[in-house]
Amino acid sequence: MKKEAEALKTQIEAARKAACDTDMASAASGVAPAPRVQLKTRRTLKGHLAKIYAMHWSTDNKLMVSASQDGKLLIWDSHSGNKVNAVPLKSSWVMTCAYAPSGNLVASGGLDNMCTVYNLKTPVIKTVKELDAHTGYLSCARFLSDTEILTSSGDTTCALWDLETGKQKTVFLNHVGDCMCLALSPDMNSFVSGACDSLAKLWDIRDGQCKQTFQGHTSDINAISFYPSGNAIITGSDDCTCKMYDLRADQEVIGYQDAALNSGVTSLALSVSGRLVFAGYDDFNCNIWDSLKGEKVGVLSGHDNRVSCTGVPVDGMCVCTGSWDSFLKIWN
Amino acid sequence: MDELDETQLKNHVDSLKQQLQYNREKTSISLPELTKWIEEKMNEDPFLNPDVLKENPWVESSKCVII
Repeated sequence: MKKEAEALKTQIEAARKAACDTDMASAASGVAPAPRVQLKTRRTLKGHLAKIYAMHWSTDNKLMVSASQDGKLLIWDSHSGNKVNAVPLKSSWVMTCAYAPSGNLVASGGLDNMCTVYNLKTPVIKTVKELDAHTGYLSCARFLSDTEILTSSGDTTCALWDLETGKQKTVFLNHVGDCMCLALSPDMNSFVSGACDSLAKLWDIRDGQCKQTFQGHTSDINAISFYPSGNAIITGSDDCTCKMYDLRADQEVIGYQDAALNSGVTSLALSVSGRLVFAGYDDFNCNIWDSLKGEKVGVLSGHDNRVSCTGVPVDGMCVCTGSWDSFLKIWN
Repeated sequence: MDELDETQLKNHVDSLKQQLQYNREKTSISLPELTKWIEEKMNEDPFLNPDVLKENPWVESSKCVII
């Protein structure tokens, strides 16, 4: 059967080659290069006492949640820079946090293997569910709504949970390495996951099947995002590169790398048009890439340690970077 | 792949068979369309169109006055 698997993979590669009758350089040849992007730090959010591992914007474009191994989730008003809420965590080994689209709930998870969901709207913030079924660390969580959440885990699976029952509705099985990240498609019918097996996979949320697998990276994929058009994804890896995969052609179409860069990519976020990619690296910087030309057009320098998370709000008005230096910065 | 048992390997092969069936679009069609989509949206992108960033919530729009 292993031989059968290898034969199928070869056939898939052949089908991809057949579909590849032009490259991104040619397709984007008529497009002017993106201008150099120089951003200023507008706010430095101070409050965490240890490394920040994750952040996520609220859909209101103002509030955001951050998670630190100081054992807290902090909800920030990014305009004023003030802390709106602090949620103490049962386990301080947090790796991810998420804001529900409604703004009512936030979630966290990490080495406790659980995803804990909190209600921000009750007079005192309450834990509403502890989602306990993964047998490995929780690397990422994303709400579909107030009743459903997707998680990715070091146990190599992703799962869709029903928040009313606290049980897994669907388990997504196909990766052979720890799942490190996930991203929801704009139409919410599918999601992509990146894992330590160097693969990114596209899944149908409702039928639980892996529809497409994207290869090319040579190390763990730590970050993944959908293009706003919904037809492409971008990944960031420990192999120091980012890659764009075209979903319709089922293959890699452009890579973002630099011979001078030898730090892994920890996180990434896209501007609203998808033209700019903000990628956070282990070397304390966030590089800005022109997604169509594959060239670096800017750098965000200012953190004193690894950039662990980046996020652009829905309205695209800024980019937020979070770091092991315990600070978050808002740039535009 | 070596760590997979019989059932997992079978599921893997079945999944690959399904994935092979995917109807791949030619890049000569998908890439220009993707490029066009991004180009059209660039007008609304605050990082690329300074007009959109005129109302910047993180920058004071009026000067401070000392009373």
